[in-house]
Amino acid sequence: MGVVVEGFREAFRLLVTLNDEVLGITLRTIQVSGSSTLISVLLGIPAGAVVALNRFFGRAFLIDLINFGMGLAPVVVGLAVWLCFTRYGPLGMLNLLYTPTAMIVAQTIIAFPVVTGLTLASIQSVNPKMRLQMLSLGATRGQYLLLLIWEARLGILAAVIAGFGRVISEVGASMMVGGNVRGYTRVLTTATVMEIGKGQFELAMALSILLLLLNFFVVSVMSRLQQRGKI
Amino acid sequence: MNSVLEARDLRLVLKGRNIFAIDQFTLQSGEVMALVGPNGAGKSSLLLTLALLQTPTQGTILFKGQTVSRDNLFVLRRQMALVFQEALLLDTTVRRNITIALRIRGVLGHEAAVRTDRWLERFGILDLARRQARQLSGGEAQRASLARAFALEPEVLFLDEPFSSLDYPTRKVLLRDLGGVLQEMGMTAVFVTHDPTEIPYLATSVGVLHNGRIIKSGKVQEVLGTQLPGREEFQLWPD
Amino acid sequence: MLGRFRTMAMGMLLLAVGLAMPWKGETAESGMKDLILATTTSTQDSGLLDDLVPVFEKETGYRVKVIAVGTGHALAMAENGDADVVLCHAPESEKKLVDAGTVTNYQLVMHNDFLIVGPPEDPAGARGKSSVEALKAVMAENGLFISRGDDSGTHKKELSLWKQADISPTGRRNYLETGQGMGATLQMASEKGAYTLTDRGTYLSQKAHLKLEVLSEGEKSLLNIYHVMQVNPYKFTRVNAQGAKAFVGFMIAPQTQKMIGEFGQDKFGQPLFFPDAGKSM
Repeated sequence: MGVVVEGFREAFRLLVTLNDEVLGITLRTIQVSGSSTLISVLLGIPAGAVVALNRFFGRAFLIDLINFGMGLAPVVVGLAVWLCFTRYGPLGMLNLLYTPTAMIVAQTIIAFPVVTGLTLASIQSVNPKMRLQMLSLGATRGQYLLLLIWEARLGILAAVIAGFGRVISEVGASMMVGGNVRGYTRVLTTATVMEIGKGQFELAMALSILLLLLNFFVVSVMSRLQQRGKI
Repeated sequence: MNSVLEARDLRLVLKGRNIFAIDQFTLQSGEVMALVGPNGAGKSSLLLTLALLQTPTQGTILFKGQTVSRDNLFVLRRQMALVFQEALLLDTTVRRNITIALRIRGVLGHEAAVRTDRWLERFGILDLARRQARQLSGGEAQRASLARAFALEPEVLFLDEPFSSLDYPTRKVLLRDLGGVLQEMGMTAVFVTHDPTEIPYLATSVGVLHNGRIIKSGKVQEVLGTQLPGREEFQLWPD
Repeated sequence: MLGRFRTMAMGMLLLAVGLAMPWKGETAESGMKDLILATTTSTQDSGLLDDLVPVFEKETGYRVKVIAVGTGHALAMAENGDADVVLCHAPESEKKLVDAGTVTNYQLVMHNDFLIVGPPEDPAGARGKSSVEALKAVMAENGLFISRGDDSGTHKKELSLWKQADISPTGRRNYLETGQGMGATLQMASEKGAYTLTDRGTYLSQKAHLKLEVLSEGEKSLLNIYHVMQVNPYKFTRVNAQGAKAFVGFMIAPQTQKMIGEFGQDKFGQPLFFPDAGKSM
């Protein structure tokens, strides 16, 4: 119990004194996870919509793949990305191993299926007659897509929240492809694991609290947006 | 020859089943045709096909003399409007539902506002303009759906059992209102129902569909014959 | 509503730009200014590198990416050419790499020592004995022993001691392998009132949280020896050879050696490492 209390005190102290290193780590966490979420949203929502609305060869298999991807173990993704970016790996010439960019790549791969799959499901759950109604109005492809996304917005926002949640709490892949390098690729999750390994439990607790606060703040903003559509 | 809609040799086969087979179909300007028949007769499918939302397995459709093909499908759809059994409103305000539909059809700004207000008023829901669509009752939602359809000023109006999910009193009022509007506007329309008592309120002609074929058609008087309005029992198709 | 989409899209674009900003400095051109140092978690955890690396970076302008992993992983990184320079403390394993020509410029840097720690009550009576005798005692009295079991330098040292004691502990009920770092292993030993082998540095930094005491220390066989080495640039052309050479040179330079010797004095009252550059071990 003492660890938790001390942890809160330490977290408070770190924030109030604007501890440089911790602020840097927090900012980096936001940047890395924020970018990956953004990219997976920009790619995932259209992808989910396209799969939801079109019939094509292999569609069922693709949907299986997407749903499978939602539960893909992050550490496996980390290993795969690491193998690609390692110096003598296929993408080694990009010099991306142990960079924030590599972390963004790994996290995007993790979040993308989540956003796509949940968007897919939300759009499929829109009343199929609604489709006909919109077509009867004479909506173009683009207008129709936007209208559907609007109708499915509750589920889609949930998809974004889920995607974000998945990457901000991720540690295995981030550790592997980022390397937890001080001042460069260290984020809240990897720093927490490191401090636990060192036995620095109060600091680890403090970092965890910061992570939870960050997570809560971002998610509640998105949540508010989502629920506002419900008034 | 003032036909708005014409169809020849229209057939629809889905998953091996013959949904309907219509040799000849004509809809004149100003005509309001009721498509009646028992459940499963193929009425809704025929309606959707005529509304250019379902591609027939074979046959030709002509809209105001123009043959419908892939190229003009889109343009012609925009001259029609469709009202379903469920109101199918977008998840926004009543007013926006209409303005968005208008916007899709390229009607914006002042013109859109004028039309919206006019039709909201005509269907008695002007005071509901700012209400969220999902908060409306069944009757109110259908009024909104109708207002939307009329605001689009279509050449042909299609209605698929628009009142069958409403309770009797609401239905009666709406039937009267809609009947009045249809007459006023001289609107050309096709509406599907499985309840023949609705016919006298709205229609000028009737088509009876049974097992995918039209077994009777003609003016309301002809088809209903001695089965006068006021009687609750109509026997238009074999049991 | 379509207008609302437009504002949302704009907002997202701005957000994207904002998020991408700090990356401007990190392009592929920084490839040659980067130096990948593979080392072990216990080395990183001691905090020594947090002191030394910034000094090196300031002097030379290189950016050192300290990748702290298990010993096995660190040496594997050398074998795959994924690291430029390695700082490790598993001389027997390192020797294999030296012999194979995988690493060059193999330099002795420093040492610290291992300790056998255990519960203050010491039910097995290990206190004061030599390391090998202490282990024998733990097994004889059925005391609980926790091992890292992760192929690390510490683990290998522990195994060599068991060998000397002529005991094979794996599989025994009172021998637990955590597969984790020193910190976690010490925690577990403390919780369970068990014995374990640890390096002095980690033990000192966690002492406040632990219910463990030093029971055996000071022998030659308990020395933990650190070497720094370059990954052979002729074998692996993508290695940053210049940077690696500079780092090796830095670690054995007299100034740095002095810093190593002073590290930990103020915090623990005793040095954590003993500088050894130039000596023969």
